[in-house]
Amino acid sequence: MVPGPPCPIDSAMNRTRITQRNQHILTAYLFVLPGLLLYLIFIIYPMAKALQMSFYKWSIVPGNPSKLVGLANYAHALQDPVVKLSLRNTIVYTLITVPGQMILALAVALLLNNISRGKIFFRTLYYLPVVTSWVIVSLLFKYIFQSPKGVLNHLLVNVFHLIQEPIPWLRNASTAMIPIWGLGIWKGVGWAMVIFLAALQTIPKELYEAAAIDGASSWRRLISITLPLMRPTLVFTLVMLMIGGFNVFISVYLITNGGPLQRTEVILSYMYHQAFDFLEFGYGAALCFVLAVVIVTISFLQIRFLRRPEAMGL
Amino acid sequence: MNERKRLTSLIMAGLAVLALLVAGCAQPTPQVIEKPVVVEKEVPVTVEVKEEVIVEKEVVKTVEIEKVVTAVPPPPGPVTISFWHIYSEAEMNMLEQTLIPKFEAAHPNVTVESVQIPYNEFRRKLLTSIAGGSAPDLIRSDIIWVPEFAYMGALVALDASMPDFDTYKEAVFPGPLATNYLSGHYYGLPLDTNCRVLVYNSAMFEAAGIATPPKTMDEFLADCKNIKALGEDKYCFADGGTYAWAVNPWIWSFGGDVTDPDLTVATGYLDGSKTKAAYEFLKGLVDDGYMHPGILGGGVDTWGGFGNDEIAMILEGPWFPTIFGTEKEYGFALVPAGAGGPVSVVGGEDIVMFQQSQHKEEAAEFIRFMLSEESQLAMAEVGQMPVLSALLDTEYMKNHPYYGIFLEQLKTARARTPHPNFTKIEEVYNLAGGAYLRGEMSFEEALGGAAATIDGLLILE
Repeated sequence: MVPGPPCPIDSAMNRTRITQRNQHILTAYLFVLPGLLLYLIFIIYPMAKALQMSFYKWSIVPGNPSKLVGLANYAHALQDPVVKLSLRNTIVYTLITVPGQMILALAVALLLNNISRGKIFFRTLYYLPVVTSWVIVSLLFKYIFQSPKGVLNHLLVNVFHLIQEPIPWLRNASTAMIPIWGLGIWKGVGWAMVIFLAALQTIPKELYEAAAIDGASSWRRLISITLPLMRPTLVFTLVMLMIGGFNVFISVYLITNGGPLQRTEVILSYMYHQAFDFLEFGYGAALCFVLAVVIVTISFLQIRFLRRPEAMGL
Repeated sequence: MNERKRLTSLIMAGLAVLALLVAGCAQPTPQVIEKPVVVEKEVPVTVEVKEEVIVEKEVVKTVEIEKVVTAVPPPPGPVTISFWHIYSEAEMNMLEQTLIPKFEAAHPNVTVESVQIPYNEFRRKLLTSIAGGSAPDLIRSDIIWVPEFAYMGALVALDASMPDFDTYKEAVFPGPLATNYLSGHYYGLPLDTNCRVLVYNSAMFEAAGIATPPKTMDEFLADCKNIKALGEDKYCFADGGTYAWAVNPWIWSFGGDVTDPDLTVATGYLDGSKTKAAYEFLKGLVDDGYMHPGILGGGVDTWGGFGNDEIAMILEGPWFPTIFGTEKEYGFALVPAGAGGPVSVVGGEDIVMFQQSQHKEEAAEFIRFMLSEESQLAMAEVGQMPVLSALLDTEYMKNHPYYGIFLEQLKTARARTPHPNFTKIEEVYNLAGGAYLRGEMSFEEALGGAAATIDGLLILE
């Protein structure tokens, strides 16, 4: 630093104060820096690269020229019948698994909140599916739903005599999504349950006591106290699960691989197929951005309208 | 003062993180420096000479001249070449415990890194590594991937880069060699060959009163009827789907085809009357319950079903005995003959070198080593059928318990569409075949539509 003219004492003190503030800011930035760098390198850069790819007929060999095709990949995506089908499958998956997970998780959370013994045991038990590997449980579900000689068919036909003929679960488009939905719900309940349990514990006991004095039934207490007070948590869970639902991939890839005849393809499995089997990286990237636009739009609408009741005119 | 100290340590920590990241990113660069070193100093050259003497004298000269011209200092350090493959356990043990040590003993400055990757992941993993600029030096590639990788520009044309290529070209079977060819160049050499033959379950045949395996399609149908009579959950035949490896033997045996011989058009072939007869035959098998329904989707454990006496016949390759084991009695036969004869599908692997390889000389040396009679015979011990025609007359091959039937079948076996767009082409008729077998579309709708789509895919830009 260039030494300035001799200055009065208060000005010198002032400068020290500024440097101290700068030091604090600098400290903060330094703490943020590693995370920020990782974020830039592993999130932002690949995203930008994928966006670039989506406008090209991308050549994967380094050095080979890629052809700029403008919006052709996006135009193709809008006309591709499999994209329509996979988008529909993705939306149906979300519509089934998100409420499924939330309702079951809420039920389990309410039950666990009311028991005094074994709470930790049951919480762990319900949380276990969340920490198991997607790959392992997907293969397990595929095994269970085999036909004609799978575990489930064996139980239904030979043990409980519920049906006469084994159901060809994975061979029919209409039944092939059932194991995938089932897996999605089973694996997600624990996560939502833990969040709901935390929210339940923040609700003041006095409210329930007052309601009990007023003679409110337990259903009434759930509707009028628990749910309204859990609203932010519910919205948060809804948005997170919905994003997760739209990103369904591993279970589809491993259980049906999009089959039979591409009927169970979801957006990400179809994208993976296009990019890594057919080397259509440009088209695959375009599909990802189509999905991203859908997710961002829906998440925005959900947060906008559900978090603040007044926005809906309530 | 205290705060300043903390600040300094924070800055230091930040710098350390940065340095680590930069170091992580910069890793691949030092390798490039080794590139200009083409010829190793002494050891490899002598070995090269030794090997070359067996094949041709001319070549030795070229190598020596090269040695004189490049008075380059010895390579800075030992060289590692990577070799990716899909060998089974027994095959990999032979490679890693016998062959590679032998090669490394002869080439003390070369280390061969063997990487086993499952078949289903191989192509994707490879493509990712090509895109990332870190492809292996060599791979043992399914024959059907070679045209695609070559077309992509990822492979080294071996006929242009290996001075002794012609000796190898003449030493191997022409059929497997042809799978390395694309527009004027050979991009690899065959490493092993195989085809599918009919494998039948002796216990089920006996129970159904079948004395000999079926020779014709009619006999096949008659046998299926007898096998179905054993029980509702007994299947005459099973295969995993309607992809090329599964349906092509039927198409060809019925006299049909996927495209014309020059790979220019599919219409008139894939939807031709003979191909139609093949698909109708398969649909008949499905509808009558002779075929395991797993071919329609959802998959089927053919080996498990074969072992449990639920599936009487499957098509398998020469790896079957070593992997399946011997606790069960089974026999081999040619695929049943139709109007086109008993035609099976050729499989096998080629060894190819990548443009991104930093050690092309050493990699070529390993190719020569893998194609030596000694290596070929060693791999034959564990189920890999050799590709050197000279080995056909050896006692080993003549007395082999089951290679005979495969060699017989190979005489008429054919390769799947050797085209850079094979993966897409296969997907198209795989889906169409599935839709037809499931009864969702007529043959004309399904395979006619597929043929029209494939016509477009056959044209290269």
